Amino acid sequence: MKNIKRFIQFIGFTLVCWPLVLCAQEVPVGLKLSTSQINISTFYDGTTLKAEGTIPADVDVLLEVQGPKRNVELKLKGKVAGLLWMNKTDVELENVPSVYMVYTPDKVGSDLFMTELGVGSDNLMKDLSILHAGYQKLVRDIVIKPASEDKMFIFGEYVKLMEKAGVYAVNNGTVAYGAVKDGKKPFAVVLNIPPKMSAGQYKVKAIAVKNGKILVQTAVPLTLQLSGFPKLIATLSRDHALLFGIMAVVIAVAAGLIIGMLFKGGGGAH
Amino acid sequence: MFHMYLPIAGNSVNIILILGLGGFVGLLSGIFGVGGGFLMTPLLMMFGIPPTVAAASDSNQIVGASTSGTLAHMRLGNVDIPMGIMLLLGGVAGGTLGVQVIKLLKAMGNADFLIAITYVIMLGGVGGYMFWESLQGMRHENGLPIEKMKPAPKAEPEEKKKSLVQRLPFQYRFEKSGCEISTLLPLGFGVLVGILAAIMGVGGGFVMVPVMVYLLRMPMHVVVGTSLFQILFTCVNVTVMQAWSNHTVDFVLAVLLLLGSTIGAQLGTAVSKRLKADQLKIMLASLVLLVCAKMLAGLLMTPTIMVALKGGH
Repeated sequence: MKNIKRFIQFIGFTLVCWPLVLCAQEVPVGLKLSTSQINISTFYDGTTLKAEGTIPADVDVLLEVQGPKRNVELKLKGKVAGLLWMNKTDVELENVPSVYMVYTPDKVGSDLFMTELGVGSDNLMKDLSILHAGYQKLVRDIVIKPASEDKMFIFGEYVKLMEKAGVYAVNNGTVAYGAVKDGKKPFAVVLNIPPKMSAGQYKVKAIAVKNGKILVQTAVPLTLQLSGFPKLIATLSRDHALLFGIMAVVIAVAAGLIIGMLFKGGGGAH
Repeated sequence: MFHMYLPIAGNSVNIILILGLGGFVGLLSGIFGVGGGFLMTPLLMMFGIPPTVAAASDSNQIVGASTSGTLAHMRLGNVDIPMGIMLLLGGVAGGTLGVQVIKLLKAMGNADFLIAITYVIMLGGVGGYMFWESLQGMRHENGLPIEKMKPAPKAEPEEKKKSLVQRLPFQYRFEKSGCEISTLLPLGFGVLVGILAAIMGVGGGFVMVPVMVYLLRMPMHVVVGTSLFQILFTCVNVTVMQAWSNHTVDFVLAVLLLLGSTIGAQLGTAVSKRLKADQLKIMLASLVLLVCAKMLAGLLMTPTIMVALKGGH
């Protein structure tokens, strides 16, 4: 009797713990990049690289390319004398990534991002329409100063500024899945690296999602670095600024003399 | 294809586009004799170069463009060196001051606004005056009645008029220019032009030439050579100061612009020979006013993006 009681307790314990055991298991998400280092050389005009991996067949994946988070000081534009637009109010956004590009597998990207915020989690839900689906994920972590300013509006305008520069983007329907094999399916996406994405360390993250929940996130590093002539110029300009200025003048004078001799004159633009 | 990465501007540019831009401005420069800096900087801004980099790099380009012209005029004896030195000293002081003003405003986040408003005021004033003056000239040529001139002011006694000018200290006889004036005058005008050169990224010729002709009463052939002399050294100073203080000079961009502008200037010179003086003036005035209107529209119309990065781009 005592043994039967213990056996029933064991079965009960197992039935309670089994889902926990299942949750503790990692969903395998393989992620690799065609290159982890990009050199910005003389004729660089941005580039692309391929990200691919495998996920379980019943899981979706979205990819993020994210730069380091930093605090950004902005100027909010306003009218002067009721007539001229100029930069007026100081505003600061904290914890904003320098680069943020998202790649999703289908056109309805916002469903995947709802997993982060959860249904009815806070008042941000009603303002989600202000921002393009895909950026809501960032809003929760961003702090605005002064707190009295409209966070959603300011961040929305900041997103427009960054999208214009090409360093923020939401690319829906760009992740392609392959054929399922052995309960897994491959995914692949071409990541766009725009020329305005400056030298630095970035992360490419694959986020596995199922039934509105994030299962696992895997990140690999991506490095952009200046090389060759751009590196020389940037170093000189920063570390030997006076010498750089004198050099710029000498080169301009020499170029002007040579071109003037070649074309017999050269004018002298005012 | 044909892109080059500019590490100072933090962006890549199409080489053909930049050469074409330089060529277009050089063409206008060759046709009208002016028009380099004041067009180049706004055009660079329109093509995505940050304003502070556009202004500083354009000053660098003007150094190259003015070099061969200054030497040619010196050989012809068209440079009043003492006058040029006075204008230059003022230009260096003004350029240095202007660079510090830009540095301060860049930190405050309003450098772009100052550059834009300065362009609107200067281009509006110069373009408007040129347009009116050339219209008057064309009306006179066509036999049309010109607008009634205001009655000439009462002639002041010669002694009183002389004393107003002579009251200024440091009088000097500038032989090549044929005038005797206080050295404070060219110094003061030089400071003004130097400040404009730093803020707008121009050589200042479109301000300096009228100043030398109408206010300093210098003969035209000396004005061009002396103006180039002063512009060359003012822009040398602005380039060095911008590189040292603000790290905004992109000499790769400057050399590309210089190459394009020199070729364009040769074509422009050939075109200008086929046009009458008043036609040239009114076309230039229209162009200046067009650029002014574009800059003004940017200040009056509701911006598409309501925030800007503080501290420049």
